[in-house]
Amino acid sequence: MTSSTGNTRMENNTLMIDVSRCIGCQACAVACKLEHALPPGPFPVRAIQVGPLETVSGLTTDYLPTTCAHCDRPACVPACPAGAMQKGEDGLVFSDTQVCIGCQTCAVACPFGHPHLNPATGKIAKCDGCRQRVAQGLWPACALVCPTGALSYGTRQRVVHQRRMNEAVRTSRRLTHLACPRS
Amino acid sequence: MLETIALQRMPGTCKEHDQVIPACCQECTLGCGLLAYVKDDRVVDIQGDPAHPVNRGRLCARGLAFVQGLTASERITLPGTRNRLSGPFEAFDNWEKGIDLLAERLRRIKEQHGPESLAIACDPEAGLDFFLGAQRFARLWGTPHVFHPSQEPPDENLPADRRHPDLHATDWLHSGCIFLVEADLAVTHPVVFNQVMEAQRRGAKIIAADTRFTTTLAKADRAVLIKPGRGNDLGLALMKILLAEPLSIQPQADAQAAANTQWAESYSGLDIDAVAAGIGLPTDRILELARMLDRHGPAVLITAKRLAFVPHYAIWPTLAQAMGWRQVRGGGWYPLESGAPRLDPTTDLESATDGTLQAFAEQGGSRGPTNPPGDGLKALIGSGDCLTDLPAPLQAIAPEMNLLVYFGSFPNSIRDMAHMVFPAAAWAERDGLIFNDDGAVLWSPRVVKPSDACRTGLGFWMRLAQHMGWEEHFPWKKANGLADQRAFYGWLFANNRDTADLSIEHIVEGRPLTFWRGADRQQVQGALMPAPAAPATHAEEKNDPAFPLHFQSTRVITRSGHAGRWWPWARELENEGAVQIHPLIAQALRIENGDPVLVAGQDHIMEGQAWVSRMVPPYLVWSPRRFKADRVLVYRRGQSPEQAREQLKAVI
Repeated sequence: MTSSTGNTRMENNTLMIDVSRCIGCQACAVACKLEHALPPGPFPVRAIQVGPLETVSGLTTDYLPTTCAHCDRPACVPACPAGAMQKGEDGLVFSDTQVCIGCQTCAVACPFGHPHLNPATGKIAKCDGCRQRVAQGLWPACALVCPTGALSYGTRQRVVHQRRMNEAVRTSRRLTHLACPRS
Repeated sequence: MLETIALQRMPGTCKEHDQVIPACCQECTLGCGLLAYVKDDRVVDIQGDPAHPVNRGRLCARGLAFVQGLTASERITLPGTRNRLSGPFEAFDNWEKGIDLLAERLRRIKEQHGPESLAIACDPEAGLDFFLGAQRFARLWGTPHVFHPSQEPPDENLPADRRHPDLHATDWLHSGCIFLVEADLAVTHPVVFNQVMEAQRRGAKIIAADTRFTTTLAKADRAVLIKPGRGNDLGLALMKILLAEPLSIQPQADAQAAANTQWAESYSGLDIDAVAAGIGLPTDRILELARMLDRHGPAVLITAKRLAFVPHYAIWPTLAQAMGWRQVRGGGWYPLESGAPRLDPTTDLESATDGTLQAFAEQGGSRGPTNPPGDGLKALIGSGDCLTDLPAPLQAIAPEMNLLVYFGSFPNSIRDMAHMVFPAAAWAERDGLIFNDDGAVLWSPRVVKPSDACRTGLGFWMRLAQHMGWEEHFPWKKANGLADQRAFYGWLFANNRDTADLSIEHIVEGRPLTFWRGADRQQVQGALMPAPAAPATHAEEKNDPAFPLHFQSTRVITRSGHAGRWWPWARELENEGAVQIHPLIAQALRIENGDPVLVAGQDHIMEGQAWVSRMVPPYLVWSPRRFKADRVLVYRRGQSPEQAREQLKAVI
């Protein structure tokens, strides 16, 4: 379980990633491309397959959706020589394509290798948290499409609450199951 | 009290659009509802339809990426012909001229070689109407050779009307155990896999058996690796163990009791150790699985379509019935891609007197792929990527045909050897009807106009029939001369027993969902399949030292070899040329990730890039590309096959 907790203000929304539900289907990646009209190449969000690895209990594979964390103190912002990379009022880190010169210094500065170059425009393509959609009260494209609910979106308080509830339900089902197994 | 209301999803688009068209995705057999936002006859955004009961607003990568294919520059948009197979196609000014020439050529072949010299190969990509139209045209023409990859071989233990799911996917939430056999739902049907994960969250046990460590196996509570082609044998072994164990098998109805005793006894002779060895699992492991199934039942048995093409497929409904799961909510058999009824589009045509045509009619209008025709074929009309699905003998003679016609949207191997091409409308460019896996009948209206001269499958056959003078047999025409899908399906439903009570108007309207089979689906009972005399003989292990590894190809995120190849986003998500090999084998052959490798079968060689992964067991090589060999040798480019064989001896 990870949560991209970039927003400094509690009332801001955040993207929650429930790794245990991700199946690596890449619907998020394709939805993002459609939303932002991106060509092949850059992936602002993508699920990475880790494994199968050999463990004591047999093989295990994990799928990790990776996207920009919209860091509190983003390394990419001060690195940008053109001033295109910014952290907005809403906490989202985005690149202003009007100003971006495509030098990719931000990509070097980012410890997660997140910003990619859009080969069609020669500018940086990175997750902007679907600012335009969010401003209209819509969910980001990646979270909305996710077939298994691995990505969800809401206030930080609400997603944490949701996560706790999910865990509680899971545990209670298991306990019920242990207490009265089917004959 | 726990408050478990999920986060409220806020769907919609921020793209400028002038209309929103609700349609159904036809990339797989789920029939997810989508909303196409259209501006100036171009799709500007695709969103899952939050109100659609199948997917509730979720979509997968394929259901989104298809829009790229609609405007792809590689699309075939005009009919064409060529005299030399190596030359380019000469486009016709209009469709009529093309059909004129096709009709003329077909007539000539019929005169010289008889009607049975024509074969028609269909593909799901061309739509259900292409297949149905082909069956009708073939009957009028007088050929029994109509192929479709979903045609299952006949099985005396499993009549065609007993091959449908016992329950809906939404009922999986009530299952105690979900057993997936060679069904990698997480990859092929990600949206419905959510139901599996939801059931797991509610306490159901997930057991998955497959030949590779797939995503589905990664998410299962119990993952089992089996040898290729042995899925049904696992069912036999489980049945044998469950009958021998003092478990919770429900007593059958009195009238069947005597017959059932005899049936149960037939399993006592089954050599469990031989079957287990064939599957590649220790008997103890199968015993453990059987106990798990029994303990956590009712179980739903979800089986992949490919199991229908290997012997003993009837074991799955037998197992579900013998265990009494079929009568319980959440239990039963769920064969994938088996939700469509048998539709005969030739009911009004005179019954054929010819022996071959009679057999054709008895098999529901087509010969199964297990019964390929001989060398008498001179002409082939094919759609989509049908060539990879054709029976091997037919594939071999396809290049020597006097006339090869391709009806499709994108260039592929069949187009490369075709004499004539006709452009097909993509599913978003035509009205369409879908039977989904649950048996729901869904209508999907046209989203955008087809580019240039693209036509529907029904339109293709309608025009060809007109030129043959059979206009009255294809009367489903709109005022503008194009095929009227709605009128065609309305007529078809009325003339088939399974669909007679369906109303096309109701289906076009959409919600609530219409199912072609009523609520009595849980009462399905069939004959129990007795244990086969020698289950392991159908695919005796041929340990050929020249080709020491098994080969398998299965579907991935994009449908390899189909339209998905023309979607740049989806294409970059996976390498179509990947050849998956186990690290042990890679180490022995000194192959690294990404190295160019060759896969050699008895008669063919395929090039690819190594993908070193534990997803495959050491004895298996896997690729998303089809390859006509079960046993192969893999080696690095530059390495000699003999050298590779020597190196492999040490590890296998």
